[in-house]
Amino acid sequence: MWSVNVVPTTIVIAGLALAAYALLMTALNRRMGGILLAALGVLEILLLVLIGLVVAKLAGGERPASTGTLIGYLIAMPLVPLAAGFWGALERSRWGPAVIAVAGLVAAVLMVRLHEIWPAIGV
Amino acid sequence: MASPEPAAPPEPAPSAEPVPRPGLTRSGPGRVLVAVYAIFALSATARAGVQIATKFGHAPVAYALSAVAAVVYIVATATLATGGPAARRVAVLSCSVELAGVLAVGTWSLADPASFPDATVWSGYGSGYGYVPLVLPVLGLLWLRHVNRRPATPAPSR
Repeated sequence: MWSVNVVPTTIVIAGLALAAYALLMTALNRRMGGILLAALGVLEILLLVLIGLVVAKLAGGERPASTGTLIGYLIAMPLVPLAAGFWGALERSRWGPAVIAVAGLVAAVLMVRLHEIWPAIGV
Repeated sequence: MASPEPAAPPEPAPSAEPVPRPGLTRSGPGRVLVAVYAIFALSATARAGVQIATKFGHAPVAYALSAVAAVVYIVATATLATGGPAARRVAVLSCSVELAGVLAVGTWSLADPASFPDATVWSGYGSGYGYVPLVLPVLGLLWLRHVNRRPATPAPSR
């Protein structure tokens, strides 16, 4: 199950890189653009892949200490980039990209929390 | 359910509106503030819900305070996102309660760790959340003061 370790690490790196790029856009006084939304889409796909891997692990019979919390995370996780994209696109100033930066940071933090909930999911 | 479509970004047309409309708590930096508040509302609610539903007797004080924090975050998110005059007053109140809560619970959790066998959002002044719970109400109050000092809307010609 190498990918249950590789995908979260990729999400941490992608989330932090997205946050850095988005904050740069804010600093440069740029608005939301196609590149940021495309990057959000990539983050979303990575999260969906991870959810698939975790669900496969659950289906295989393995369980974390708190299954309810884990399932809550699995439901909330894919909503983060979607909500951020929607909320950020409504903003027509430099603060739109700043919303995307928050989503990138949250994605990275979620990976650390997932690992705490279920150490079988590496970071 | 979730369908990522980077190919079709709902990119707003670059119309000439560089300055966010004044008086709206959800515009400009407020947009980011509402986003962060929404995350805390969601996570605090989920956390309190799981704690109270599964093991309330384990740490009743901590879990009840988690629920209080969750309600405060929900009210702050909703009122900051709405931003009318009444909503702004409620937002000031909820940010103040939040600041008082994080300071009181933070101090309490350090002075009497026995009451907190499990952490709340506000334990240790929010140290488990990168001290964001401590900074957030301060930013909220500063932002609300800033918004309240500006005219509510660009005055229509009367």
